[in-house]
Amino acid sequence: MACYVMSGRSIVMVVDTDDPPSKDVRVRRATVPLLALTVGFVLADSAIVTLALPEILRRLGGTVPQVAWVLIAFNLVLALVVVPAAWICAHRDPAPLCATGIAVFAGASAACALAGSMPVLIAARCVQALGGAFALVGCLELLVAATDERRGVARWIAAGVIGTALGPVAGGLLTEAISWQAIFVVQVPVAVLAVPAALSVRSGAVRRGETDRPAVAPNAALALLSAALTAALFLLVLLLVDGWGRSPALAALTVSVVPVAAFAARPVARLARAAPQAETVAGCLLVAGGLTALALLPSAHLAWTIAPQALIGLGLGLTVDRLTVDALRDRSPRVLHGGWTIGARHIGVVLGLAILTPVFTANLRDAQVPAQEAITALVLDARLPAADKIALAQGLSDQLTKEHGRVPDLHPAFARLDLAPPERQVAEQLERDLDSQLERAATQAFHDSFLIAAGLALSALVPMFLLRRRVTT
Amino acid sequence: MMPAARLRAVALPVVAAALVSGVLGVQIAHGGGDFVPARSASPCAHRAVTSVSTGIEGLSEQLVLLGLDGAACRLHVTREALALDLAQSRTPTDAQVNAVRAGLLDAVNRMKAEGKLPPASELTDEALDNSNLNGLVKAAIRALPDSLINSALKTDDVLRRTINDLDLRALLANLDDPDELSRQINAAVTKAVKDALVARLRDLL
Repeated sequence: MACYVMSGRSIVMVVDTDDPPSKDVRVRRATVPLLALTVGFVLADSAIVTLALPEILRRLGGTVPQVAWVLIAFNLVLALVVVPAAWICAHRDPAPLCATGIAVFAGASAACALAGSMPVLIAARCVQALGGAFALVGCLELLVAATDERRGVARWIAAGVIGTALGPVAGGLLTEAISWQAIFVVQVPVAVLAVPAALSVRSGAVRRGETDRPAVAPNAALALLSAALTAALFLLVLLLVDGWGRSPALAALTVSVVPVAAFAARPVARLARAAPQAETVAGCLLVAGGLTALALLPSAHLAWTIAPQALIGLGLGLTVDRLTVDALRDRSPRVLHGGWTIGARHIGVVLGLAILTPVFTANLRDAQVPAQEAITALVLDARLPAADKIALAQGLSDQLTKEHGRVPDLHPAFARLDLAPPERQVAEQLERDLDSQLERAATQAFHDSFLIAAGLALSALVPMFLLRRRVTT
Repeated sequence: MMPAARLRAVALPVVAAALVSGVLGVQIAHGGGDFVPARSASPCAHRAVTSVSTGIEGLSEQLVLLGLDGAACRLHVTREALALDLAQSRTPTDAQVNAVRAGLLDAVNRMKAEGKLPPASELTDEALDNSNLNGLVKAAIRALPDSLINSALKTDDVLRRTINDLDLRALLANLDDPDELSRQINAAVTKAVKDALVARLRDLL
């Protein structure tokens, strides 16, 4: 016996209800969380390796542009493949396609963990994205089939938002606690369990009627917002780890403010009982404001990043799910439009990386001169004996040469000095002052990127207002 | 649009804008936007220079710091940029060598004008310790009264002679070799002292 769950005008989901209700409930209880977890994992993979990139570069060798492709390749392949994958899922039974996608994703995750060279890792990431694309759009259909239209779509969207926001946090903690390979290893068992879960949902997709055009305004807004959020999810962790020299675990804990605030966004919206468009406008303003605040940090104290991140997290929670709902509403086939939203978001991530990476790398290069001059001034004027200043200058020069192109660790230059206790105190203060100058230079290097990202977040308002005007006229 | 619906449409964006304004306001009040590397001071402006070192080392340090300022001012660059350039480049330009020499001579003039140059007798013992004169000569010089040393040797005169005699190009090329630096400077100081004494004797005769 089958019951048909109507979705929009054209897709009919066929849910097998031959089993007794109790078994159906049991299956659903296990299946729905596993499928939602899979969605979360796949979307977390977009940013999960951010904090592990320096470690990957150290272990696998290669160049900085190559290691950036570990990030870019996944987002690019996902963006390109997800719409065709959704089209296939709209015309075939999504359960086996989804299960295959999850299995490919699991296998590619294992391959990522075992990769011994950068090209192998990048290739495995591409395959991971390929499997992930089928898993994502398949899970949308299966979550709806296992629950209902409203709850299925809501869980799919929520899992995606949470996965996106939690990605850098999870990656940072796993890298620090175990290793960068652990990021990929932990995904394998969940994905392996999700394969039978996907196959257990009996669904059949039958294309009926015409295919609606993709919703341009919400998808364009999603792409622009995702480009802006790239700054929060990628650049902020780079600033914390590479710019300010914090550990990946501390950086991960710090950026956990974003997912926490994103969680809080929905209750806030319910409390405000705001209109959908008001939520999106408020969300864009919050993301843009948070990114502007990151561009105007008063110091390198981690506490200063909390309020800007809270604004970004609230904005993320208010906008991404609302825009995704708008993109899916009354459009069929739902899975295809789900694919468009994922594609738009990951094109946005790639766009964000393409725009922001050259800006901040050029600014980081430009920041070297003022940083070196500020350090030179402090060393020249330091209240240390002249011979110690010369030895320190030599040590600092060696460190700068050794870590060319990166924010250097100046401590070895101070550790080599043989100083009397009073001079040791002066040297410790000098080291703190020099580190502060480096932090200032690094923060300044990210300033333009955060402002550009804020501009991208504000520009997400444009398609929504244009659409509103068209609808009004 | 009904007033309630209008309120619902604007309330959340207004709250968001207020939150953003609050965060930005607090950050700017605490120096947000000014968290940038310290800017280099103008090398042409007067800078108070001190040293925790004493004796010849302290005097040399003050002269070098003032001399760097003078040289950088002449070259229209910052003191820090010049110091980095000299430290990183193995071949200083003629303009840099001339500017450093002129800057050091200006530094001697300034310290003399400010009364910061010690009398020669205060530096004699340390200079003799560093010199390679024979022990008897050193003992003889140490036995001389301070007044005689100070009348025979003027610190500013010895310093000017030293600066003019120094092979600055070779000196700047050996900045990372402290032993070679000391050897060159000691040789120049010894020669300057001899020349000053000879000139003084000529004046007396």
